[in-house]
Amino acid sequence: MRIFLRDHMVFVLLYLFNMIFLFMFYRNLGGFETLENTYYFIFLSSFLLGVFLLYRYFSYKRLYEKLSKTPSKLEDTLSSAGNAPVSEGVNRLLRAQYNLFQEQIQMYKRKQAEHLTFIHQWVHQMKTPISVIHLILQENQGEPYIENIAQEMERISRGLNMALNMARLNGFEHDFTIETVPLHALVSEVVNEQKRYFIRKRLYPEVRIDLGMSVKSDRKWLKFILEQLLVNAIKYTEGENKKVIVLAYVGEKGKVLEVKDQGVGIPRQDIRRVFEPFYTGENGRRFGESTGMGLYLVNEICKKLDHQIEIESKPGEGTLVRIVFTD
Amino acid sequence: MEYKIMLVEDDDSIAKLLGSHIEKYGYKTITVRDFDRILDIFIEANPHLVLLDINLPKYDGYYWCRRLRQVSINPIILISARDGEMDQVMGIESGADDYITKPFYYDVVIAKIKSQLRRCYGEFAPDVSEERKVELEELTLYPERPELYFNGNVAVLTKKEAILAEILMRKSPRSVSRDVLMEKLWDDQVFIDENTLNVNVARLRKKLQEIGIEDALETVRGHGYRLNVTWRKMG
Repeated sequence: MRIFLRDHMVFVLLYLFNMIFLFMFYRNLGGFETLENTYYFIFLSSFLLGVFLLYRYFSYKRLYEKLSKTPSKLEDTLSSAGNAPVSEGVNRLLRAQYNLFQEQIQMYKRKQAEHLTFIHQWVHQMKTPISVIHLILQENQGEPYIENIAQEMERISRGLNMALNMARLNGFEHDFTIETVPLHALVSEVVNEQKRYFIRKRLYPEVRIDLGMSVKSDRKWLKFILEQLLVNAIKYTEGENKKVIVLAYVGEKGKVLEVKDQGVGIPRQDIRRVFEPFYTGENGRRFGESTGMGLYLVNEICKKLDHQIEIESKPGEGTLVRIVFTD
Repeated sequence: MEYKIMLVEDDDSIAKLLGSHIEKYGYKTITVRDFDRILDIFIEANPHLVLLDINLPKYDGYYWCRRLRQVSINPIILISARDGEMDQVMGIESGADDYITKPFYYDVVIAKIKSQLRRCYGEFAPDVSEERKVELEELTLYPERPELYFNGNVAVLTKKEAILAEILMRKSPRSVSRDVLMEKLWDDQVFIDENTLNVNVARLRKKLQEIGIEDALETVRGHGYRLNVTWRKMG
């Protein structure tokens, strides 16, 4: 309505101006014999203006309604703006634009899908050379240089694993099942997979979880979360004879799983942003081994699984990540 | 009896490494190179067990697994880079008996081969009757008892000491790093720290002393330990 009024103000002004001008002109010529005639003139003119405005309003009503409402999705712009000539034009324009957009979106979707397929295949392909190197390393275990290579191999494997899970995250909706996951068994599994890393950094894992405790989650994704948290805990701990503690308990909001380290901690200015993608912060620069994707992925997965995640850290004392499995 | 193991793996390096490792354990291996004729080769050679890769040119491992199942019930172990749950389920549904993901450990492959053979061919399995034995000059370790023999003397070891003794004897005269020793000692339930290693090395030294071997277990500074054959001159 407001757009309609603003749009037609100029018509109204022109009409009024025209009317007053004609009125004066007629009166000067002595065209009005009685006062009634004058009123009649004014009434007739106003009436015609009113009818005109009403006609315009009703024939363009849908267009103006459409213009005053912000669309919330792409399809909203496709609703008809009416049959008046301008409305028809707007309809055609929007439809054409919609189609052009759709074409582009489809193209990007196709590219994205191709890219994901590529990542999947590539990661699996990379596993073959890794397997070969892995076998050669096993045959020569114990030599000092072999251990250095093994260390770097582990880094490559971790990176590939992350890339694969990053790609999988896109199809998350088709790729998860909520089941009962026994916590102790899962945590032990992940800790054991990281044993070389623990040993190399001279860190000692401590698992304090009741054998009977289990949570509702997706096993595979929860395992990935735990892996990321443990790798972070190990990576950002310096000095010997420190611990990484994994414990679980029943809290107020539900079961809680904590991964606690005695590492370097996260500087206060960085902690708000650790869940942002590609954000590495000061520790990333210092340790030079971070992609800024680990915690981002963890947070995304937690959101999708409906788990809450909290992080606390004191620089120099350590970091605590808490996952709350809300009932 | 010699077991024949058929190896279907399209990466030459893996096939070669894995094949030669399996042969060390006294199995005969047949490595398939022509991936269109997997079924024919199987029927010709009639292996006791098949190690089958999933990513193969043309038809995948699932397909071949189903084809093999039509003619044989011999154990099939799939080896694949795909580690998803669905991949494993599909593998087992196609008739495979076990599933190994890449990258894998030799020990795991050998253990799974042994277990399948034991299950399928029972008492003929080669390793069941024979006890494992590690020898270094006159020093003999029986890891399964676990006992250490030298010059007619016996020392009874703990499990951890036996693990240490075995790797040090196998690697002698080379040294073994602390990292490797700790990794071997690491238990799935009880995680070990530096101290555990020190304690176990000290105990092993004492037991070596008890059976008459002095100063053989040497500390290599900044690296690990080495078992030197110091007892040769005495003999």
